[in-house]
Order: sequence, then C-alpha cells, then structure tokens
Amino acid sequence: MPRYLVERVFPAGFELPLGQAGLEVCRGVVGVNDDLGVTWVHSYVRDDRRATWCIYDAPGPEAIRRAAERNGLPVTRIARVSVLDPYFYTPSSDST
Amino acid sequence: MRLLERDAPLATLHRLRAEAANEGGRLVFVEGEAGIGKTSLLSAFAASVPEGVQVLLGSCDPLSTPRPLGPLLDIAEGLDPTFGPLVSESAPREEVLGSLLRALGRPDRDLVVLLDDLHWADDATLDALRFVGRRIASTHALLVGTYRDDEVGRQHPLRVVVGDLATSPAVRRIPLAPLSKASVAELSKGTDLDADELHDLTGGNPFYVTEVIAGAPARIPATVRDAVLARAARLSEAARRTLEAAAVIGPPTDPALLAGVVQGPLAAEECLAKGVLRTDGRSYVFRHEVARQAILDATDLAERLALHARVLAALEAGSEADRSDARLAHHAEGAGDRDAVLRYAPAAGRAAVAAGAHREAAAQFARALRFAGDLPRVARGELLVDVAREHGLVARLDVAFPAWEEARDIWHREGNAEREAAALTEYAMLLIGAGRNEDAEAASRRALELVESMSDGAAKAEALGGQAYIRMLDRDNAEAIELGRKAIRMGEGHPAAAGAVVAAWNSVGSSRILLGDIDGGRADLETSLRLALEYGFDRRVGGAYSVLYSALGEMYRFAEADPYFEAGHRYASARDLDGNRQYLEAWRALSLVHRGRWSEGGALAASLLARPSTTIARMMALLALGRLRARRGDPDAWTALDEALEIAAPTATLQRLGPIRAARAEAFWLAGDLDQSAAEASAVIDLAIAKAHPWHTGELSWWLKQAGRPAPKATPIAEPWRLQLDGRWREAAVAWDALECPYEAARALLGSDDPAAVEEAHARFDRLGARPAQALAARRLRELGVRSVPRGRRPSTRANPAGLTNRELEVLRLLAAGLSNAEIAGRLVLSTRTVDHHVSAVLGKLGVERRSEAATAAARAGIDVQNGQAAGPD
Repeated sequence: MPRYLVERVFPAGFELPLGQAGLEVCRGVVGVNDDLGVTWVHSYVRDDRRATWCIYDAPGPEAIRRAAERNGLPVTRIARVSVLDPYFYTPSSDST
Repeated sequence: MRLLERDAPLATLHRLRAEAANEGGRLVFVEGEAGIGKTSLLSAFAASVPEGVQVLLGSCDPLSTPRPLGPLLDIAEGLDPTFGPLVSESAPREEVLGSLLRALGRPDRDLVVLLDDLHWADDATLDALRFVGRRIASTHALLVGTYRDDEVGRQHPLRVVVGDLATSPAVRRIPLAPLSKASVAELSKGTDLDADELHDLTGGNPFYVTEVIAGAPARIPATVRDAVLARAARLSEAARRTLEAAAVIGPPTDPALLAGVVQGPLAAEECLAKGVLRTDGRSYVFRHEVARQAILDATDLAERLALHARVLAALEAGSEADRSDARLAHHAEGAGDRDAVLRYAPAAGRAAVAAGAHREAAAQFARALRFAGDLPRVARGELLVDVAREHGLVARLDVAFPAWEEARDIWHREGNAEREAAALTEYAMLLIGAGRNEDAEAASRRALELVESMSDGAAKAEALGGQAYIRMLDRDNAEAIELGRKAIRMGEGHPAAAGAVVAAWNSVGSSRILLGDIDGGRADLETSLRLALEYGFDRRVGGAYSVLYSALGEMYRFAEADPYFEAGHRYASARDLDGNRQYLEAWRALSLVHRGRWSEGGALAASLLARPSTTIARMMALLALGRLRARRGDPDAWTALDEALEIAAPTATLQRLGPIRAARAEAFWLAGDLDQSAAEASAVIDLAIAKAHPWHTGELSWWLKQAGRPAPKATPIAEPWRLQLDGRWREAAVAWDALECPYEAARALLGSDDPAAVEEAHARFDRLGARPAQALAARRLRELGVRSVPRGRRPSTRANPAGLTNRELEVLRLLAAGLSNAEIAGRLVLSTRTVDHHVSAVLGKLGVERRSEAATAAARAGIDVQNGQAAGPD
C-alpha cells in the first residue's frame, strides 16, 4: 500500500486532551480510518501545536481526505513518500 | 469414518444456519484441497441439523462440459414444484433466478442448500450463485458451497464470483485445514504405519490418509493416486472391471446402466464392501472424485474407448432420466464416435446457450468442431458461426477471431452474400470490443458493400446498423444518423432484425445528442430503451441507459442526465449487468467531480478502481480520479492519467482520447508546464475539430491558448468555451454556473484582468479545496497589483470551524439533538463526568453559556450539526 505524508495546519492550535479522553480521540480516529482502509502510522507535531505532519498508509489520497473529513481534521497538502534511512545502502553483514 | 478436527467448522455452520433463519440468509464457501473433507463436512452437517430443517443437495459434474444448471436441477424437486420445469425448459434467466430467490425466501420453512464441488460449476450455475449471493440476506436460507481452492486460479470464473461476493457481510468463508499429527496418529492406530511419516507424506489430507490405511501397504505410496491404485490392486478382477466402468460412467452411477456396461460378472457388492464405492440406495458414487479420476487415468486406452462406446449405446437405447445431450456428447467424444459427437455436441451447445451457460456452449461447439474436419462446407460454416459467437461472448478471442474469418471465407466461396455480410458484421462488433477499430471498420465496410444490392431485410439492416454504430463511436455523427435511420427503415417489420433496429435507434440518438440536438437524441434513445424493454433485450436496455447518461455527460448536461443514472443503475444492479453498472458509476464519478462534489466523486471512482471492472469503465474512472487529484494538488494524478491514456491509445477514438488528453493538458497547466500542456492538446485537437465536437474542441482550444499557441479556427464550440475564448469571463462563468460546474466557472474568472473577478476565482478555488488553481489566482492577483492577496479561509476553519475535537463534534451533534448528558454518555459509552467535561468545552469553544444555544451557534460557525462533519463511530 502506498505511503503518504499529510500536512495539517491548525491556525488556532489543536488540542489533544490528556489521559482517557485523549485515548478516546485517538481510538475514534483509528476506527474511522479503519473503515476506509487507511492506517495512521504516526505524526510529528510542531512545538507550537499549529501544524502536524502525519505518515499514513492508504489506498489513495481520496481515502485520506475522506477519513480527515469524517474525523474533522484539516488537510493542507498530501505527498506520496517512501522511506529512506542513512543505512539504506549499507551492505548486510552476511554478504561480506 | 469418523470426522476428526471438524468441530469448529461444524459449529460455525450451525451458528450460520441459526443466523440465516433468524436474521437473514447466509452464503458460506467451504474451501480446501481435494480430499480435505469438504463433502464429509457437508454430510456431517446435513446429518446434524435440527428436526424440521430441510436440506437439499446439488452437485456439479466433473465432466469437461457439465450440464447447464445441473446442481439447480438436483435441488429443484425439493425446492419448489414449479422451479424444475422452469430450469429444464430453459425459461428466461430472470424467471429462473427470480423463482429461485423466491423459493429461498419463503419464510415458512428452514432451508439449507448444499452445492458441492463448485469448481466444476457451469457458467449458468455461477451466474445463479452470484445473483442469489448478492441477495442472500433477503432470504432465510443457508447456502453452502464447496470448492477446491487450489484448483481455482485467479482467472477461474468461480474465483471472480467469490471475490465479487466476499465483501458482503452475509457471505462467509470456511477454509478447511489438514489434519494434525495427533489425528493422523489416532487414525493409524492398529496399523504398522509410522504416524509421523504418514503425516508428512500425506500432508494431513484425510482422504489420502484413509486410502493409505485401507490399502495397508508395507510402504506408503508417494501420491494419493498411487494409494488409490494400490488399494484397487487388492480387489478381484471383476471388481476392478466394475470400478473402471463406474469411473467411465461418472457420478452418480446408475446400477442398471453399470450392469449393462460391464462385460462379465458385476462386482458392485465387493466394491461397496471394500469401501471403494458408496451408495445412497439409488446410485453408486466413488468415495472420492480423486479416486475415480485415478482409476479412469489408469484404465487401458482401448478399454476406455470401448467403455465409452457401450455407455453411449446404453444411454441412447435406454430411457434414463439423465439422458442429456451434454452427457451423450461427453461419451461420444470419449468413444471417438464422430457421428455421435456431431449429433449431440451442437444440441448440447444450443441448450447451454438457452440457459445462458456460454462457457459450456463454447466448449460443446468447439468439441463438435474437433470432429468436423470433413463436414460439408455449409454445415461447417454454420458450426463455425456458433463457435465464433460463443467464444466471443466468453472473451476467448484466440478461438473466436479465426472462426469468424473461416466462416466468412466459407460463405464467400458459397456465394452466400447474406451470410457473409452477417458474419462480417458480428465479427466487426467483436473487433470493436477488442479495441481493434481499424479492422472492425474494414469488416463492416465489406459487409456494407455486400448488402448494397440486396433487397430490404434483416441482413441489410444489420450491416447498416453495424456501420452506423462504428460511425457513432468515431463521432462521425451525421453519417451515423443517416446510416442508422436507413437501418431502422430496412429492419422494421422483420422480427430477425429487431436487435439491429434497437441498436440503430441507440446510435442515431447518441449521434444527435453529440451534434447538439439534445431533445431529438433523447427521444431516439428513449425509443431504443422502450423497444429493448418490450423485446426483453436486457443488454440493450442497459446500453440505452449507459448512452443516455454518458452522452448527456459528454455534453456537460450533468443534472439533466441524473434520472438516467438512477433508473439505469437500478436496472443494471437488479439484473447483474455489471458492465453497464460500472460504466454508469464511472460517469457518475466524472459528473460529481465536474459538479464540485469532489469527496463523493473521488470515493466512487476509487471504489470502482479497487475492483475488477470493464476496460471502458476503468478508463473513465481513471479520468475522473486524474482530474480530481490534479485539481486538488494531490499525489498520484499522473498514475491515473497515464494509465487512462495507455488504455485509450489503442482505441484511437475521440470519445476516449478527447477528454483524457484534455485532462492531461489541464494537469500540466496546473503544474506550470505550458509546453507539455500544449503538446497534449495538439495531439487530439485536429480529431476533435474533424468530428465537430463542441466541448472537446472548446477545451483543447483553451489549453492551446493558455500556452500562447494559436488554436485552429474551429466551429462549433460549446457556449461557455466560446465565451471564455472570446475573453467574456463573466458571461462564461455564468454559463458554467448554469451547468453546475463551479470549478470551471472559477477557472473562467481567473482569465479576467479585473482584480475583483480574480479575487472571486481565488475564493471559489479556496472553497473547493483547489490548491494549485488557488495559487495561480494568488499569483495573478499580485501581477494585477493587488497588495494584500487574501489568504483564504484557513484550512482548519474549513474542516472544523470552532476548533472542536472529533469527540466534541460528536457530543455537539447529540447535544443539538436534545439529548441529556447522561443519554450522551450512554450513547458514546463514556462516563457522565467525561461528558460533562466535553459539554462545557463545546459550549466554551462556541462562546455560548446555555446548551440550548449550542445548535444555533454551531450553525453560525458553519458546522453542519445534522451530518456532523466529524461523524464518528457511534
């Protein structure tokens, strides 16, 4: 499944309640995503809490937008991405 | 034999039976390799259903060409007295399937229908299974189908049906696992066999295990086939001969027939006693089909031919109930009896055609053709037409094309122009479906030449109608109308030409719409629809709806077309006309995207593309998605537009290339690549002009103009595009708005030099979520000297005006519906204290003090409380 980076801007900042309530919110989001075949991998939250960058696995951008609508989340921009890390080209130990 | 390790699947079947009776019908597929115990599970289930539950069993034949609807004939008697005659007399599909569904839906009884060995099912049975499976929840029956999942490849028709039904909540699958080591050890207790070795070699396959144990050899045979043969080798000579005859006759084996076929003493009793055959009191069956196949394969070839010949003779002489042509043809081929094959296979093929089992029909006609080497030329020509037509229907073009060509040549040499023209016309239609438009054109032209000097009649009407259809597809509309009207005149009053007449009305109507004569074209298409309904031509009804909807869409008459979508979609869904349904849905997605209903349109297109669909439906869904993604600035726009072009290119038709090239030009324009945008438009604009298509010509001219290229002077051009090309922005926007195309309207305004108009475009793009066009509007405003370019409503405000969390929106929705905190807590499964907390947060964010004011404040803030933008799971 393709992977996407979803940029969300929250001009008034976004609130994630602590404890049980926060858990409920996250569970609600995951539940809605699940119906649409969308998986929220994780997010980076800007320190001022006015923007997030979320990594998603989804069948396509339409599914991400639909999930966002249902969850009441903004979508500023969607980019298709793939993983690259510093050890990508490191030869594996058993081949040496 | 005891049933080991099948408690869980058995319990599942019992649970689903109760669900079916109480909540609504269920369909279950029991899957597993040959010998895993599917039939044994069904038998155990049938033996343990509560009293009063009626169990019916239908089996599919292991013949290379099974009886059409065989399993339904098996269950017919128990199902409903009126059902059997419908099936055996080849009543229309609607009647058979409607009657089947009603019988399954009768609330006055608990019914279980078992359909065994569906991997051998004929097309008509699979069609019935799909029809019933999609509607099973409206019945009270439990339908259980078994199949060998390892023999059903991705292209197998059953796999397609299972995949199609799998998403329904009323459909389940039960995979059967091999036996564990412990069970194998238990079964082999008291023998000298090593349980571990037995398990490893047999893979825990219950049939294999029991065969080995029954054969009790010193060494475990390497394959299940060897195990079966080892066991048979221990039987007497007479028993082995009996077994071979039973294998040739096939299941279920009639004892009288068996007695007539076996030469020498009959030893059925020994086979029963040794457990190789079983009986239900009326007939014999092998303990497993794998065993029958092993015995059959091991039978000496000459002996097998002789057995088939004796079975054939006995069936021909006797009055056995199951003396079907399909069965006779099977044994005739087995006996290598040319005359008998040519007698029975074509008859079996015609019966299969009547039942709608086209795969079986194709196989029967092909079987006859294998024996038709020295058939007289005319008879061979007639057989070839059947072979070609049926293989065309099941997309076996490798057989269909050469068959049409040979048939054409035969009629040519016979000097039978009428038949030659008919063959050419049908061949041309098949070539169109395969995207070989040029060859189709040549074949159709030749047919026209042939009928030119003929008097009026069906052949002439068909040739003219075929050519009219091709001209319409090519958007040579004036010609299409002329030819189509001629075809209608020729065909009227000739019952054989009814299909051609209905099709001609369709072509004429489509072409009139495409020439801008919307009302006239609609009237013609409605005539085609009415006649198709009268004659019961399902596919032509579906075709009329598809064309009414898509041709009006091609002319941007989206709202006007809506009723045809609804009626057509209902009709196509009820009759499983999947191709028509998918094409309507693809155009629905396009319509929604153009009308600014992006979320719905995107979801519909994406769901179409997630499943297998026809090529043209896929192409138009890709177009919808490509336009949408480009307009939103979303990724993967090019994935969709590239695939769309790849599919469209071989058709070389304006109908496909026009809109796809235009969408690509738009996407390049949004990305700022004007050269590429112009290249896309140039690639097809001459074709659009040549075909006088007002909408494609308009859009393609626009993209050339945007890139600063001269657009060819062309008429006609659709009104909104003409206004836009003439620089009359405001009027163009009004015209687009009248067509319910908000994005197109905003794009028209963007071309203006008036900052107020561009600002309006900017705001409209913002509302739509059209980020790339919005950025172009912002740049344009700066060029026009506007200092403070509006930043637009902020994204989060758009999604969630008051900054409410998802949960708070849910609470608000229930709050606005008048629920108390305690009721909300119950609904959302939260504590009342948590809800108290949410409610005060909601009121705080909305800036109101009383809960009675919440709904009004929410509406003021732009939150849709009814639908709740954050409709969470509740």
